[in-house]
Amino acid sequence: MTRTLRLAVRQALHEQRSFWRSAEYALFTFALPLALLLLIGSTTATGYLPDTHIKAQMLFVPSIIAFGVIVAAYVNLGSKLATLRHDGVLKRIRTTPLSATAYLAGVLGSTAATTLAITACTGMIGWAAFGVVPRPAGLAELAGGLLLGVVCFGSLGLALSSVARSAESAAPIANASYLPLAIMSGIFDPTFSVPHWLSVAIGLFPVRALAQILQQGYTPAAHVVSVNDLLVLAAWAAVGIGFAVWRFRWH
Amino acid sequence: MTETVARSAEAAVDAAGQAVSRPEPRPLAIEVRGLMMNYGARQVLRGVDFEVRVGEVFCLLGPNGAGKTTTVEILEGFRQRTGGSVRVLGLDPAAQPSRLRERIGIVLQECGFPRQARVAELVDMWRSYYRAPRPLEDLLAVVELTTDRCVQVRKLSGGQRRRLDLALALAGDPDLVFLDEPTTGFDPESRRRCWAAIENLRALGKTIVLTTHYLDEAERLADRVAILQAGRVEISGPVRQVARQAGVPTRISFTAPEPLRSGRVEPPPDLGITLRGEAAICYTANAAVALRALLAWAAANDLGDLDDLAAETPTLEDAYLRLVTGGDQ
Repeated sequence: MTRTLRLAVRQALHEQRSFWRSAEYALFTFALPLALLLLIGSTTATGYLPDTHIKAQMLFVPSIIAFGVIVAAYVNLGSKLATLRHDGVLKRIRTTPLSATAYLAGVLGSTAATTLAITACTGMIGWAAFGVVPRPAGLAELAGGLLLGVVCFGSLGLALSSVARSAESAAPIANASYLPLAIMSGIFDPTFSVPHWLSVAIGLFPVRALAQILQQGYTPAAHVVSVNDLLVLAAWAAVGIGFAVWRFRWH
Repeated sequence: MTETVARSAEAAVDAAGQAVSRPEPRPLAIEVRGLMMNYGARQVLRGVDFEVRVGEVFCLLGPNGAGKTTTVEILEGFRQRTGGSVRVLGLDPAAQPSRLRERIGIVLQECGFPRQARVAELVDMWRSYYRAPRPLEDLLAVVELTTDRCVQVRKLSGGQRRRLDLALALAGDPDLVFLDEPTTGFDPESRRRCWAAIENLRALGKTIVLTTHYLDEAERLADRVAILQAGRVEISGPVRQVARQAGVPTRISFTAPEPLRSGRVEPPPDLGITLRGEAAICYTANAAVALRALLAWAAANDLGDLDDLAAETPTLEDAYLRLVTGGDQ
């Protein structure tokens, strides 16, 4: 067990090194959320939420944190694994005694580290540029949301890498699956509103659920703490893990 | 049945006293008995038998679709067999794949590397997957990549990549190494270096199981070969004996002396000598007997030394073609 853990940590460090060395991944993963944060945060997401004294950025900054989680854990991990599979690297790893558990734990650990880094950057910029900080009592929501978010979207990323037939199709599939949801969930516009039926439908997906949990970490006024959001994330995590276990392929 | 053929052939060789004196036979690294594999209704392996001794270079030959890859994948623990018994380093690969993988190294065909990695870094990463890895410098030296240690993997040439494949397979200091078509698509120089690396392995005492399409490669590297066809081992044994076992005759030729050509001297009986222009040719299963008879005949008829006398022992390629194409040569 300790050996598995040691191997997982080592694998995570290795993945981190290769992540930072790979300019396209690192740039895309970091630049996209941070650029959107600054652009939208200083233009459309200014002002106050309707009928409240809450700055729109109090919702927007945690929304971008959620966006960062999705990019790093879902899009990035899914397309990376699809590429490794396509290149035959996974097949090669399977010839060694390294267990699937240790390997995947390492890969997910590295993803968690990347997510944490994006979250920290987003939070810092949110504070420096917009004066928005999490509320001290909301750190539990933030930490819990991040953890659940990484597990949920990470496992969905694993599932995605197994669904994609080729390395090339993984990123487009990832983008096509989360981007419409992200827009409809108001990730890029805190005042975005949709018809009730659509809102109910979107509530079934993990994007808005994650954003709302993280928003709780910034301001309690936006929503009531929703058990539904937790359940939705947990359910999708279970779906992702189940699918990944069922369908994960080494080649 | 195949086994019986192989055994009796070996016994025959022993009886003829041609086999080198064998000390204590080395223990078995691999033992395969009656191995069966079905994919659905299709029978891919129909009772494969062979064994590989410790320290041996064993080559599995056969046309595409003969079952080579399936056999090797079963030995490596990647595939569950339908029937028969398999022991690899004393373990059942189907039951204990992870224990087995500590002790074997596998070079697959067409396997990629992480795109950003550098040579030494990647080898070191692979070493960490094993409990008792081989020293890094050692690994780089065996595959002649010491001077390329800091090169990014994607900048390596095809031959260098193949040798890196080998270094990764050796990272855990395995007792047994599987090489799947190690030099396919190589230029002669890269092949030579890859062969040198494999010879290095042999010198380290590793047992090697090789599959290849190149018969010269098998002939050059292997101690023993097995030819697989349609899910069975058609023939197996030491490289030199396989051709004989396959029933490919030795070709004896010499320049026919004038008296023979003009018909003044009868050819020796029972040798079946045919004349093709200046050359006299005969085929025999026992070169020594035939040569003795030939020289006695030459002396008796006062023909002197037979010019250009040559005995061509059958090659592995002759045996292979005869078995696989049913070739009549």
